[in-house]
Amino acid sequence: MVDIIVCLKQTVDVNQVRPHPETLEPQLGQAPRKISDFDLNALEEALRIKEKHGGRVVAVCVGHDIQQLLIREALAMGADEAYVVSDPMLERADGLVTAEVLAALIRKVGRWDLILCGEASLDESAYQTGPRLAEIFNIPHITYAVRVELEDSGVKVWKAMEGGIHVVKASLPAVLAVGLEINTPRLPSLLMIRAASKKPIHEVKLSELGLSEEQLTPAVETLQVKALKVERRRITLEGEPEELAQKLAEILVQEGLVKK
Amino acid sequence: MSSDIPVRETYRLMPPGTDVIMYIVLIPFAALFLYGIYRRVRVYGIEWSELFRDFPTRMGNLVRYALLQRKVVREKTAGVMHLLIYSGIIALLIATTLVFIDYDILRNFNQSILRGQFYLFYEAIFDFMGLLLLAGLTILLYRRFIARERRLRWKDEYLLIFLGLFFLGITGYILEGLRLYIAPRPWGSWSFVGKAVSDLFAALSLDLGAALGTYRALWWAHAIVTFTMVALLPYSNLLHVLATFGNAYFSTLRDPNPGKMPTPFRIDQLDPETAEIKLGARSVDDLNWRQRLGLDACTDCGRCEAACPAFASGTPLSPRMIVQKLREEMWYSKDKMNGGARDLFAAGIIEEDEVWACTTCAACVEACPVLISPLEYILEMRRALTLEGKLDKRKTTMLTNLSRLYNPYGLPQHEREQFLQELRSMGVKTLAENPEAEYLYWIGCASSYDARSREIVRSMVKILQAAGVNFAILGEEELCTGDPARRIGEEGRFQELALTNIELFKNYNVRKILTHCPHCFNTFKNEYPDLGGSYTVIHHTQLIGELLKSGRIKPKRPLAEKLTLHDSCYLGRINGIIEEPRMIINSVAGEGFVEMQRIGRRSFCCGAGGANYWYEVKRENRESVIRLNEAMNTGASTMVVECPYCLQMFNDATRIVGAEEKIRLKDISEVVAETLE
Repeated sequence: MVDIIVCLKQTVDVNQVRPHPETLEPQLGQAPRKISDFDLNALEEALRIKEKHGGRVVAVCVGHDIQQLLIREALAMGADEAYVVSDPMLERADGLVTAEVLAALIRKVGRWDLILCGEASLDESAYQTGPRLAEIFNIPHITYAVRVELEDSGVKVWKAMEGGIHVVKASLPAVLAVGLEINTPRLPSLLMIRAASKKPIHEVKLSELGLSEEQLTPAVETLQVKALKVERRRITLEGEPEELAQKLAEILVQEGLVKK
Repeated sequence: MSSDIPVRETYRLMPPGTDVIMYIVLIPFAALFLYGIYRRVRVYGIEWSELFRDFPTRMGNLVRYALLQRKVVREKTAGVMHLLIYSGIIALLIATTLVFIDYDILRNFNQSILRGQFYLFYEAIFDFMGLLLLAGLTILLYRRFIARERRLRWKDEYLLIFLGLFFLGITGYILEGLRLYIAPRPWGSWSFVGKAVSDLFAALSLDLGAALGTYRALWWAHAIVTFTMVALLPYSNLLHVLATFGNAYFSTLRDPNPGKMPTPFRIDQLDPETAEIKLGARSVDDLNWRQRLGLDACTDCGRCEAACPAFASGTPLSPRMIVQKLREEMWYSKDKMNGGARDLFAAGIIEEDEVWACTTCAACVEACPVLISPLEYILEMRRALTLEGKLDKRKTTMLTNLSRLYNPYGLPQHEREQFLQELRSMGVKTLAENPEAEYLYWIGCASSYDARSREIVRSMVKILQAAGVNFAILGEEELCTGDPARRIGEEGRFQELALTNIELFKNYNVRKILTHCPHCFNTFKNEYPDLGGSYTVIHHTQLIGELLKSGRIKPKRPLAEKLTLHDSCYLGRINGIIEEPRMIINSVAGEGFVEMQRIGRRSFCCGAGGANYWYEVKRENRESVIRLNEAMNTGASTMVVECPYCLQMFNDATRIVGAEEKIRLKDISEVVAETLE
């Protein structure tokens, strides 16, 4: 029996974000939101551990505009209950603040053995939250997990590194940050999502967590986000293949893309 | 009794008292039979209150499909074989029943029917009918051992059944021959086969005493084999004899159109607090009683398997094996020793890919001679798998795309902006701009997002404008119909999309929907009514056909191409639209129209249906390649299709076989639009 906490982040669906045609700023308000892909992998892994070893899976989610329906999707997948902090202050939260808020929320959940997170988030890809959580709780963490096995003494994890796979062990409690390759998250059917409305969602106010001003101040300030704008030249060349190759080579040299 | 008048002499050569002994011997066999029937009926759990609903229609189906075997005889060899065995056995049953009436009933009143003229005919006719049985069994041997039909499965049980029937046929004649040899009668030659056999014994000058001994032994053997076969009927494949009647009778409980899936709930009427979260079949206990009865009607003939495109493509699916395995599991699970019905997938009875390989083309439903729908079981199992949500990446992605982007391609809505702009520049209006339009022209996801399929829309717009049809599109408001969600088993997401569309149609007061996609067509036409959306739905082949007939469009020049036509499953087989495309092609083809071997209701799926376009199943071959080769064998230069998914599948197939130069692919609207210029 292991009790697992899974951290979920709600992000915009990055595939549906379009830059403003003039300012080039992402129009975040227009794009639909979703649970960050990596976090769904974390939830799926937690559910598989639960199916095998038993225990409880609790989803925790903090952010500035948490959508109930997305939380219910996580419950429909099989999480037993959810703890949510939704506060406009968190719109500017970075990995540091997120970890502080999550840690405070997790303390409210009660007993747990393992925290699972996605290794990064879909929108910011900062790879911060997991390791920072482990630091706050002063427990081991393993990142880039692609396979997890529970053992009597702790947890054994296959960790995808550049040179290959490292197999490492840690004692419990621990934090694991999982990658996209670890599994295919199950897709709750709509019927399941409807039925999940019976499961509890605990809404906690940010002020109830007793966090200091300092803990809620981001370390990183985002100045500007802009889309890259690439104008195509639309040059059309005509002629025989030999001529074309010659012309193309000349242009490439001319543009300084190839050195003579 | 005078021996001058021909008369049936029952038990004539048997010792006195044989009749009583025979009935005593019969008791355990009859008991076994009755117990077997009782157990089967218990297993089905028939709702008896259902018994007489739709009585005339049901009797019609029973007579047509069970008694007269209209679908059995669609195949020549197998049909003739079955008809011979069937009529032979029934005739012999009637003959025996007449003897029973004559001897066990009328004799007690000093009456008899088996005498005189009638008796002579009785002998001649039933001698002949016995020959039919033997002829049928000979064809059976031919199919098994000479033609070696691939679809015929071997089971020892089948051999025993054959031997039993063969034994009864042969010993019947030998008994008759011996009887006429031992006690010749002047009317003996009416039993022409028996007489010939007795002549043979005469030629061999068989010892009379030995003949009588043989007769008596054989008489008992004949009786015991008959009793055994009757007793084992409810425990063996022979049960189909009764179950097919039940299945044909109750078939009205299933929608006759395989394109319409049942609607088990309405998502908008579901109370999440109380609703039972259950859908589909994970075990045979999840099937309803009609579905369980249907399993027993399966005779393992294999026609569905021979027709199945997924089977032909070497996927793990055989519709016959689906039904046979479910049938075996049903029998197994009802045995108290075995501890109830098992999870079909966890127990390894059905492999998930068997269920996913199905293109829902309904060829199996069309092929089944006894009105079983293997498709129905497959779709129920899909629903159970999808409910749990443990699907692979591609299926999950497709469903997520439907929820998030409202199209299965996973392309954002704005991907089609440019195309819609182009349509606008052609003069196409949206319903918002032209609320008086007669038709809503539903573009469908394929033609909204796939470059090649957009050509269909361009052609259709040309045709509609040439004919002066008042139509409009939904533009950016168009979503998926929900078909791929429903076919993959995600009823909730299907209904969510469908209900959104129905609401939108209501706002625009849509009455007539025109679509060139057979899947959209089928969903609107057959499935939306259950959710409160009833429209006049028309496929572009139907509208183009009408426009040609009424002269609203006139081909200016015939097409300098030799054409062949691929019937889309959801148009031809499932919705019976077979004549229209042919009429269109005949009116534009300049260099002739050649048919493929499998056409109309017997057409062969391209492999995309039932959401198969969106995921992969392990396979040895592709439906599209098999079908493309069939089209190329006709010598046609162009293969005409009626569905954007068929178009895409065959496009891929031409690349796979390297036939891009050999055969062109066109939608039927493109063919027509070309002739208008």
